[in-house]
Amino acid sequence: MNLVTPARLLDEKAGVSHSGAPPVPRAMTQTQPILRIVDLKKTFDEFTALDSVNLTVDDGEFLAIVGPSGSGKTTLIRLLVGMEEPTSGEIWLKDRRIDDVPANRRPTCMVFQSLALFPHRSVGENIEFPLKIRGVDAAQRRARALELLDVVRLPQHYYDKRIQQCSGGERQRVALARALAFDPEILFFDEPLSALDFRLRKMLEKELKDLHQRTGKTFIYITHSLEEAMVMSDRIAIMKSGGFEQIGPAEEIYAKPKSRFVAEFMGEVNLFHTRDGAASIAFEDVSIDPAVAKARGLSPEFKGYLMARPESVRLLAAGEVADATADGVIESEYLLGSRMQYLVRLASGYKVTVELSRENRVSWEPGARTRIGFDLDRAHLIQEA
Amino acid sequence: MNPSKGGRIGLYAYGILILAFLYLPLISVGFASVSQARYLSFPIRQYTTQWYGQALESDTVSDLLWISLQVATIVTIISMVLGFFGALAFARYHWRFRRLYQKLILLPIFFPQSVLGLALLMWFNAVGITPTWHTAIIAHLVWIAPIATLIIAIRAYSFDPALEEAARDMGCSTWQTLREVTIPLLMPGVISAGLFSFLLSWGNFPLSLFTTGADLTLPEWLYAKMVSGYSPLVPTVGMLSVAASIVLVVVAFAVSMLTTRFKRNTTN
Repeated sequence: MNLVTPARLLDEKAGVSHSGAPPVPRAMTQTQPILRIVDLKKTFDEFTALDSVNLTVDDGEFLAIVGPSGSGKTTLIRLLVGMEEPTSGEIWLKDRRIDDVPANRRPTCMVFQSLALFPHRSVGENIEFPLKIRGVDAAQRRARALELLDVVRLPQHYYDKRIQQCSGGERQRVALARALAFDPEILFFDEPLSALDFRLRKMLEKELKDLHQRTGKTFIYITHSLEEAMVMSDRIAIMKSGGFEQIGPAEEIYAKPKSRFVAEFMGEVNLFHTRDGAASIAFEDVSIDPAVAKARGLSPEFKGYLMARPESVRLLAAGEVADATADGVIESEYLLGSRMQYLVRLASGYKVTVELSRENRVSWEPGARTRIGFDLDRAHLIQEA
Repeated sequence: MNPSKGGRIGLYAYGILILAFLYLPLISVGFASVSQARYLSFPIRQYTTQWYGQALESDTVSDLLWISLQVATIVTIISMVLGFFGALAFARYHWRFRRLYQKLILLPIFFPQSVLGLALLMWFNAVGITPTWHTAIIAHLVWIAPIATLIIAIRAYSFDPALEEAARDMGCSTWQTLREVTIPLLMPGVISAGLFSFLLSWGNFPLSLFTTGADLTLPEWLYAKMVSGYSPLVPTVGMLSVAASIVLVVVAFAVSMLTTRFKRNTTN
């Protein structure tokens, strides 16, 4: 694969070397926020699509905004690129307020869900389009388009191809090249990979992340797919009914969700609620030695959930100990490729999901009794709102 | 699925019957136009082109062709422009009463044309306009502009509004978006709307009959001659009119074929 990129593509401000040396870690070079959203609100008639959200994005960051449909992520991105006007609030790009600047005068660009490639223009003409609008002459436009074909790993002869002759993956690359030709301060993505098949999507996710590192540009990517967000982004913002539920690095959001919504949105999870009326801290379905709970600093006043991801839960061998344990019956087994998943029904009826690597696969009979367990340092507490 | 032998014969017979039903009358007019006899009778005893010669030399006929051509051309141009903006308003903008307006605009297509013609004539009288071929243009537009709008609107509905948003996002002003994206994408619809407008105006009889006043368009003249004082020029002028329509359609096809091929050649 061709990893050489045209030097011009690399953003000097991002402090990225042009010699092909690995990029300087972002944290060392960027501190200034490129985008600041203050109390941004959007209502459609009676419906509040976006409820006073605040967000700061660093220069060169890859931020993924994730949420179920109807959570307001599309409204947010449309406000940011200027296709909708906010009801109230401010949008700042560096030190310039842009919420009343029309879309065509904003130095931002978006890759659409439908890609919005012009069917009456060739691949090359599509890529050159923003340059043409800016009045760049034909020869320069062509040279730049050919460079960008290289950047998105399409052969040069694609310049003359018609859009209709390109496959889904190739169209993605053309749309990306066109957005890069615009050379935006921030590049927005509105779920552009959602229509592709799994394998192609996985490949393009990695390429996009790679491209982000090479260009040093700020990417803001909206998606309903958590996996997509985790693979690509530096930070994830989870949206729920018009507001941010949690913003943080993928690792933090996965391991330390702030709410049950985030915990359940970020993949499979086992949640055990605190048991009311117990003398010391206790949870439904699992038992914890009070001494261990005390040693781990669990406050008796705590109300909420104890969360354990399936990969933190083990099937205990006879005599094996864990901080939290429960007895149950294995109900079913699923092969997830490199991992095995077991569904264990506890005495209370609650079903615990356990994931083991394939080498640790256990042999079991239907209805076989088992003991599950996990340690508290691999679990997380979610305070009830 | 392949039909059985009997089925195949049936299908062919059916096809031929339909074609005969559609084209035999027109073909017999064609024969009449080249028959020496004043009235059509089979078999044709003597073929002649004299009626075509006379028709082309006749001032009456050239006046008819000229008036019909002017009416159809002006109706076509205005219909294309009105249809273009009307379709955009339908398909691209959301406004109050849009759906109701949409239906009201398209309603004239379903009115009986003779009633529409009569209504327009009465209206012209009421406001004191003397009907001439100019007023016929207005009458044709009332019926044809909605059809043109409908044709272009179908095209406008079928393309992704994100294309225009993308153009705007990449720096296009409203005018640039129109020029770079909207017009090129709607063009096939505008061309077919223009073609339909011309043919519908060129062949229109009921609206013209009520609204041209003392002027005559080609279909009106054909009718007038049938009612009183038949002339052997009638089938000839009829064939000329059909020929003009065919030429227009063929030219339109050729132009669209050539432009697609030209585009393919310049981009490949």
